[in-house]
Amino acid sequence: MRKKLSELAFGETGVVTEILASGRELNCMGLRKGKGLKMVTKQPIKGPVVVLIGEVEIAMGIRMAEQVTVETG
Amino acid sequence: MQRLRGVRPVKLTTNERWDLVDAIAERTVTVGTYRQTIGDILGELTVKPATGIPVAVAVLYAFWSIFGSFAGTLVTDGFMVRLFDDHWLPWLQAAWPGPDSLLYYLAVGDPLAETCFEAFGMLTSGLFVAIGVVLPAVLIFYLMMTLLEDSGYLPRLAVLMDTVLHRIGLHGYAIIPAILGLGCNVPAVTATRILETRKQRFMMMTLLAIFIPCGAQLGVMRDVIPDLVGPVMLYLICGFGIFGFVLDRIIPGENPEILIDVPPYHWPAWENVARKLWTRTKGFLKEAVPFVLFGVLLVNLLYLAGVIGALADLFEPLFVTWFGVPKETVGPLIAAFLRKDLAVAQLSTIAMTPYQMITSVVLISIYFPCVATFVMMLREGWKQMLAAVGVLFAVVFVYGGLIHAAGILMGVA
Amino acid sequence: MNEPIDTGTTVLMVGNPNVGKSALFNRLTGANAVVSNYPGTTVDYTEGTLIEAHRTCTIIDVPGTYSLTPRDAAEEVAVRLLGEYPGAVVLLVLDATRIERGLYLALEVIERGVPCIIALNMTDAAHDKHISVDAAEMERVLGIPVIETTAISGEGVKQLAGMIRNAKAADISAISGRLNGDGAAEEMVALRSGCSGCGVCGR
Ligand SMILES: Nc1nc2c(ncn2[C@@H]2O[C@H](COP(=O)(O)OP(=O)(O)OP(=O)(O)O)[C@@H](O)[C@H]2O)c(=O)[nH]1
Ligand SMILES: [Mg+2]
Repeated sequence: MRKKLSELAFGETGVVTEILASGRELNCMGLRKGKGLKMVTKQPIKGPVVVLIGEVEIAMGIRMAEQVTVETG
Repeated sequence: MQRLRGVRPVKLTTNERWDLVDAIAERTVTVGTYRQTIGDILGELTVKPATGIPVAVAVLYAFWSIFGSFAGTLVTDGFMVRLFDDHWLPWLQAAWPGPDSLLYYLAVGDPLAETCFEAFGMLTSGLFVAIGVVLPAVLIFYLMMTLLEDSGYLPRLAVLMDTVLHRIGLHGYAIIPAILGLGCNVPAVTATRILETRKQRFMMMTLLAIFIPCGAQLGVMRDVIPDLVGPVMLYLICGFGIFGFVLDRIIPGENPEILIDVPPYHWPAWENVARKLWTRTKGFLKEAVPFVLFGVLLVNLLYLAGVIGALADLFEPLFVTWFGVPKETVGPLIAAFLRKDLAVAQLSTIAMTPYQMITSVVLISIYFPCVATFVMMLREGWKQMLAAVGVLFAVVFVYGGLIHAAGILMGVA
Repeated sequence: MNEPIDTGTTVLMVGNPNVGKSALFNRLTGANAVVSNYPGTTVDYTEGTLIEAHRTCTIIDVPGTYSLTPRDAAEEVAVRLLGEYPGAVVLLVLDATRIERGLYLALEVIERGVPCIIALNMTDAAHDKHISVDAAEMERVLGIPVIETTAISGEGVKQLAGMIRNAKAADISAISGRLNGDGAAEEMVALRSGCSGCGVCGR
């Protein structure tokens, strides 16, 4: 199923299929197409999300997470 | 054959580069099975809101109480006060010749004073503030700060604080300059470079210079006005929020969201902790102590020359009517140009109500950065610095008045 | 070919944030740069001197960056320094537990055609996480020296210091050629000719 990264639940995993904007910034931090990731936490009231990509843990704002599409399941 | 230099530069596209990276990684890296460690579990617990927020509160509370009990109760009250007031001061008062001479006045101060705070000579108040109060405070502060830095907790704290800070145009990582600033504003000014846009850097630098008291000042506050530290900090935090919000609306520019790496926890290496502690303490002894002594000298000379009296009379309307504090506050405000810790110490010898004390300590914190911070701000660009000073004067005037108004409403002013 | 780099070389330490550049810098030069466990510790550059086999070189600890398109003011400093020292050797510091994005930046630097050498740092952490990186193979593929280091214990730092003068510029097309297996291994001759054969590196 396709979802926005921001919609993943805690602990849910997925594979990145598309990155819309700000791609470069996420890219060079290691989040890119074809990479598997896991949602670690989402902060309340539109706070940032923390995702784990391999060995790398990245915190990003919710709007940036909305730009990333992942395939789950 | 390759030559050392002169390989022709090429420019790959991002995708080509990643393809190459993947190919190289495939050749060279093998990842075995990995079991979660305690560090990983702790890492998750401290970044999830339900568990992370209570932990953050506990960490900050522990930070403050260790700071108070070690630096304040144990070293300063338990040892330094006795050393300085019972031995050093009486000895100096007796041993230094000519209680009426200028030199005596500058070095020892008041021949009848009973505490080193009151005497206000270079070798009495100056040394006592620098060595007796501030040194233990910065030492323990830096120790705890180093542990926070080296464990890997700060990025997690940044994630937890992001929701709040993003509302005022900053983002969670602004917590790094903020926490460094609680130690000393000087490195914190440069640390604002980790923020992405000019707007965010300018905002953070200005708010930092205005609202974040340094470890030395906190140390003196804890010592001379222990009961009032809470309200002072509350005023400063509220000010940070209010003026952050206002600056965010006024200043053009973007507020990008947080995007950071969260490194795994690891045990601080004691070698590194010791090295940082030593470097920072040495920096304090070399740079701060002379400034404190010089500050005492300067203030005394200005008193003698009648400059401070004249300034006090000149600014009396502003101080008494607008801020609601005694006009004598002018003296400490001048000392605060050099060192805020010295200024707070000096303030504590002026007779005033608790309300006035809170207001004047807040004023000392916000009215101007100390000279060392000022120089650092200048290094980051003089235009920004001028703008920051402009904002600063506006904030002092408005916020000082607001606090007075609040005091009048509460019936304490 | 491969003439050793002269005295007075400047070495820039470039890498992602928090990979241990400052820790390695302190080990190499005996300096006191601040080392902390969060990205963005170093926001300004620090210079230090390394004396190795009677040569001195100036080493510069550079703020960490994820790419050569800067995102914040600290990264701007890093990119600016690369521009200011066009003749400098670049010491690329990679975190062995996060190889991929380290390689991404490394390639960006290699593309500029400057002499490089790679320090594969955090080998202890990689070992703990059961990640193994074949440094010899990486060296063969990239055509530049790759030395494994652990900055916190100082392991590998001596070898790294000794290898700095063997830094080489690498050719991207040759790298992809080697990856695709068209036996260009002969290019590898004398990569380590400057090695005094002390045997420490075991190669
Ligand atoms: N386990 C392990 N930890 C290391 C090693 N080298 C450095 N560290 C730790 O990694 C953290 C980051 O080190 P720094 O030297 O500050 O990293 P940096 O690359 O200078 O980071 P920036 O200045 O932010 O770019 C510190 O907590 C070091 O103690 C290593 O070889 N092994
Ligand atoms: Mg560093």
